[in-house]
Amino acid sequence: MALIEIENLSVTFTTAGRKVRAVQDVSFKVEAQQSFGLVGESGSGKSTILRAICGMAPITGGQIRIDGKPLPTPRGRAFAAQVQMVFQDPYASLHPRHTVDRVLSEPLAIHGQGGSDAKIEQALIDVGLPPAFRFRYPHQLSGGQRQRVAIARALMLQPQILLLDEPTSALDASVQAETLNLLSRLRAERGLTFVMVSHDLAVIDHMCDRVLVMQNGQAVEELSREALASAAMTTPYARALFAASADRMLEG
Amino acid sequence: MTLLSVKNLRVTFDTETGPVQAVRGVSFDLGRERLGIVGESGSGKTMTGRAVLRLIRAPGRIEADAMTFEGQDLMAASEPDLRALRGRRIAMVMQDPKFSLNPVMKVGAQLMEGLRQRDHATRAEARAKAIAALEAVQIRDPERVMEAYPHELSGGMGQRVMIAMMLIPDPDLLIADEPTSALDVTVQAEVLNILDDLVKTRGMGLIFISHDLRLVARFCDRVLVMYKGKIVEELAAKDLLQAKHPYTQGLLNCLPRIGGSRGALPALDRNADWAR
Repeated sequence: MALIEIENLSVTFTTAGRKVRAVQDVSFKVEAQQSFGLVGESGSGKSTILRAICGMAPITGGQIRIDGKPLPTPRGRAFAAQVQMVFQDPYASLHPRHTVDRVLSEPLAIHGQGGSDAKIEQALIDVGLPPAFRFRYPHQLSGGQRQRVAIARALMLQPQILLLDEPTSALDASVQAETLNLLSRLRAERGLTFVMVSHDLAVIDHMCDRVLVMQNGQAVEELSREALASAAMTTPYARALFAASADRMLEG
Repeated sequence: MTLLSVKNLRVTFDTETGPVQAVRGVSFDLGRERLGIVGESGSGKTMTGRAVLRLIRAPGRIEADAMTFEGQDLMAASEPDLRALRGRRIAMVMQDPKFSLNPVMKVGAQLMEGLRQRDHATRAEARAKAIAALEAVQIRDPERVMEAYPHELSGGMGQRVMIAMMLIPDPDLLIADEPTSALDVTVQAEVLNILDDLVKTRGMGLIFISHDLRLVARFCDRVLVMYKGKIVEELAAKDLLQAKHPYTQGLLNCLPRIGGSRGALPALDRNADWAR
């Protein structure tokens, strides 16, 4: 049985009397310890799917099951201990007036877990930051360091599943490489399951076993990593996306 | 023919902990060609672009042995002289349309503002020119876009509006600061093609500032690679794969590729001698 099962998911936002169907009838499955990618342009609904899993988007149809069980609404603590999310922009997702220490201790306090002192130091070491960073504020960190703090926060409760919403698109190429390496290492060490959203097909290809191409809220085509590498996509949109990305690869 | 010549440009910020040099002795000459400036955040690439227009506010200081635009000394130019240059002769496209367009003004009004104020065009002339500019950047329904507010446009559309705005006065030099980093890959390609066409047909000089080395290599004739305020390597874009400097090689290799190895991506070694 797959760890995450999404069946005919639809999300519809209503704004000013107008209905926007952000996600329409999307289904996919992610096995435990797999890494699954969602790729598409802005507005294709890929981030909305992650938000729907976390209960942050109005689901109007379909089902999301984790471990075979439908998710409760609201999601609750058990869900938070199992599934955590890392957001795109580390400049926006960390509270500007909270120290790293406070950011990392909050999930432990909410879940009534003790021993936060040692856990925070270990969490910082795990994401490759010196423990001395514990009492810094976000503005005293670079973009890459902030994203490491955001990853550390997501891992504080030892979740099984990480939802990654464009975790490196706000970072420089060299810092992106370091962050992707960190994520790969953590996944291998802890046996994590990733659902990763990106508009960059090369990043998805590097990180994921399977990828779902999305456009205008609909699933276009699901590809295995091998199919992607050998350009074996069958739909014109997936091909166009591949061409636009492959265009940027220099030969050699 | 040299359009822009920069000799030993330095940009210094005086901070509480002493002066910080954001740009440390940059020199280059630009003809009617496409020059790429590449580097990470904090490498001084944006500051170099802004310094050409003298768009650096106090406490920042610009110093240069020489900085000339078609023979005119930019360092000695007065504020009114610079005002005449900015926009009309040298234009700059900023990174993010969300922050660079006026959010409470319709796109049409923003496009026409310069034409009315600077060129004293009539409303009808200004409107016609603005619509023509939007068509030049391949916006399909310019009438609708003219009446839209910036938040009603997608990122790609917003960026095209900015490019249209910069191209109305027909500048000789366009400085594009990360014009496509906020955009999707598919839209990125479209915007770059538009820029490319405009540069070719109008014979403009272009300074293209980006952190994406591969993108710059595909799009420019010549590339300057910057690190910590200095140019570490200058090379023709087609020779990029033969880059000698370890920093340039590092930037090239750290990007994942479709179908590439899934091992750890090579990270930059920032402790090497060149990084000091």
